[in-house]
Amino acid sequence: MILEELAFLVIAAVAIVTAANALLVRELVHTILWIALFFVDLAALYFLLAAPFLGVLELGVYAGAVTILLLFGVMVTRKRIFAREAVTGIGPAPLLLAGLVLAVVVVGAEELPSGEGTVHAYAPALLSQALFNADGPWLLLLGLAMLSALAGAIYLVREGRE
Amino acid sequence: MSAFSPAGLLALSGALLGLGLFGILTRRNFILLLISVEIAINAAVLNFVYFAAFSGSSSALSGQAIAVVLIGLAATEVAVGLAIVLGLNRLRGSINVAEASALRR
Amino acid sequence: MSLAEFLPEILLLAGALLIFLFDVLGRRRLELVGGVAALSLGGALLLVVADLGVSGLAAIRTVPAGSVDLPLAPSLYAFTSLGFVFQVTFLLAGLFVAVASLSRPSDEKGASVFFGLLLIATLGMMLVAVASDLIFLLLAIEVTSLSTYLLVAYPRRDERSLEAAMKFFIIGALSTALSFFGASLLFAAYGGTSFYALGPGVAFVGFPLLAEIGYGLLIAGLGFKVTAVPFHAWAVDVYDGAPTDVAAFLSGGSKKMGIFAFFLVFLGPILLLRSAPDALPATFGASLQLTLGILAVLTMTVGNVLALRQKEMKRMLAYSSISQAGYMLIGVAVGTYPAIAGAAFQVFAHVFMKTGAFLVVAAVAGLGVGPLIEDWKGLGAKRPALSVAFALMLLSLAGVPLTVGFVSKFVLFSAAVEAQGFYVWLAVAGLLNSALSVFYYARVLKAIFLDRPDPTSPVAGPLTGRIGLARSAVIAVAAVAIVGLGIYPGPVLSGISTAASHFVGIGA
Repeated sequence: MILEELAFLVIAAVAIVTAANALLVRELVHTILWIALFFVDLAALYFLLAAPFLGVLELGVYAGAVTILLLFGVMVTRKRIFAREAVTGIGPAPLLLAGLVLAVVVVGAEELPSGEGTVHAYAPALLSQALFNADGPWLLLLGLAMLSALAGAIYLVREGRE
Repeated sequence: MSAFSPAGLLALSGALLGLGLFGILTRRNFILLLISVEIAINAAVLNFVYFAAFSGSSSALSGQAIAVVLIGLAATEVAVGLAIVLGLNRLRGSINVAEASALRR
Repeated sequence: MSLAEFLPEILLLAGALLIFLFDVLGRRRLELVGGVAALSLGGALLLVVADLGVSGLAAIRTVPAGSVDLPLAPSLYAFTSLGFVFQVTFLLAGLFVAVASLSRPSDEKGASVFFGLLLIATLGMMLVAVASDLIFLLLAIEVTSLSTYLLVAYPRRDERSLEAAMKFFIIGALSTALSFFGASLLFAAYGGTSFYALGPGVAFVGFPLLAEIGYGLLIAGLGFKVTAVPFHAWAVDVYDGAPTDVAAFLSGGSKKMGIFAFFLVFLGPILLLRSAPDALPATFGASLQLTLGILAVLTMTVGNVLALRQKEMKRMLAYSSISQAGYMLIGVAVGTYPAIAGAAFQVFAHVFMKTGAFLVVAAVAGLGVGPLIEDWKGLGAKRPALSVAFALMLLSLAGVPLTVGFVSKFVLFSAAVEAQGFYVWLAVAGLLNSALSVFYYARVLKAIFLDRPDPTSPVAGPLTGRIGLARSAVIAVAAVAIVGLGIYPGPVLSGISTAASHFVGIGA
């Protein structure tokens, strides 16, 4: 379908532009704005891929929570919020390495079917059944990771009398 | 030839991974490093989602399950990273990695 | 899923939760929380040793013998005897560090968070050892990684620790992103993530090029965890900046977790290459093995060469730890069962040698001696028992006969020679490197035993600091084990060999 094709091309372009801008602008607060746009854009892509649950999750967790966390981090660690990031020289090596990764992945992509794909939709109910039954241990592991993160992070930022 | 295809999507996620790597290698502010890592992890999440969407086999649903777990994991990492940054910031008042010099000799 | 099978893991989790509960209730004395941690680690160790089938402990087995070493199946986790061997190793590393830490000042801040995170990190490693699915494996690694970033940062008033944690975190997050991207490509190529789907049990269909790229990214991602060259640059700064007890845990535990992850991920394709070379695209298997071999040689050589130039004890040990990872990678690259047994034995021995050595460094720092190798001059006369234990650890790291390090290297290198062809060169590289490493270990031993202390150094003074009973006991146990296993490795070695042969049998 030509409409989906068009939508994908727009979304992909926006994703790359917002991600690049987030890394390249010099005001940190602007970085946060660009990365929020990036997350919203990815959520749109998930809706296009018939994965609405993931789209909502991306909006809630990334565009919502993570963005606010990052903004909070910027506000606490900068005395002036609009302070500018010093310009750092960009050597050829990082560009080369990043380009190499892109090239390798694109070469690999040639193996995949490049014709129009059929998108299969799954009922979110099936996803939750998978998450809590067959794939349940993954969630348990995530819970363990969150437990240690919680305990350690609270200790690190807790004000103590020392 | 259609862009909205597995090949086209892999090209997109490859570009995002490249951008993330580029950011990690060149940026010096810790927040920017965190954002670079998030972009790279999002590329992996995207891969799982669209492989699941295009494949249509019964096992492909677990691709979406992995994506759910990965989104949670990445958010946890941001929280841990910020905790370390805030701790360091309290001691020194700067989170510039280039100034992290106590270990360089 | 039977919960009883996971009793050792549950014990660790219960210990961690109990410690956090004590913390909330305001009971933060180091002896109390440390005691809970040591008890749960010890209990879990006992249970896992019983699972290995040691006679006399059959009554407390948590995993019935019938469900160990089953053929590969599409499941998320599976119990293997080699996994149990690694679990014993992880638990020993955790137990050593926990018990030695009991000797720290009892009013130390953050003791509860230190021991709680230590338990969860060990728990993550234990789960790595039972993984039978790539995502399960990577998530379990993540549990350990997140806990260890915070472990490095737990002296929150120390700028060096927090800087080390920051560096560790960024590199770890990068490795996570690369690993999961690689896993997603394998998911695309094979249509699943369990090792059954990836492994030799299923004919190779799908997209070979994608699989190759996916494995490449996994080598990079896991390479950061085992500090393989060229993914090693972070390790020395992190080990140096981290509290020494945490560095002991990192080198004895979380690096070994990476080695086992290498086994799980790469043994499938390597075994397939051995049993049915035609099943794989011609370039795929050979390039994979060549890559792993080059990685092993690079890692041990670069680690050793850089260790030669270090002036600081902790940094020297960190570089030597990198080179040891290179020896272990030989076992992955060769992929026969004697080689796997050699690598597993090397990992096991490493707990006594490297964790022990770091614990000695912490003890000596507690005596008020400085961080440089020069500062250790003349320590042999002042603290003979401690110095002899340290000497044993270094000799074992160098692979001198009658120590456990000699036995493990002998098994590993002879397995590489036995495998013929290109693998012989891996053994040669390993031998040359062992010879090279003798230089810097000998330099340290000369400083300790032959040199006189500088008049201004604390060693020339009365050395009034105390090491503590618990730490001394751990160091003594490690030193005795090094000699004991070096002279009489029989039962342990044969147990590990059987486990390794079962492990290869599962995949074939």
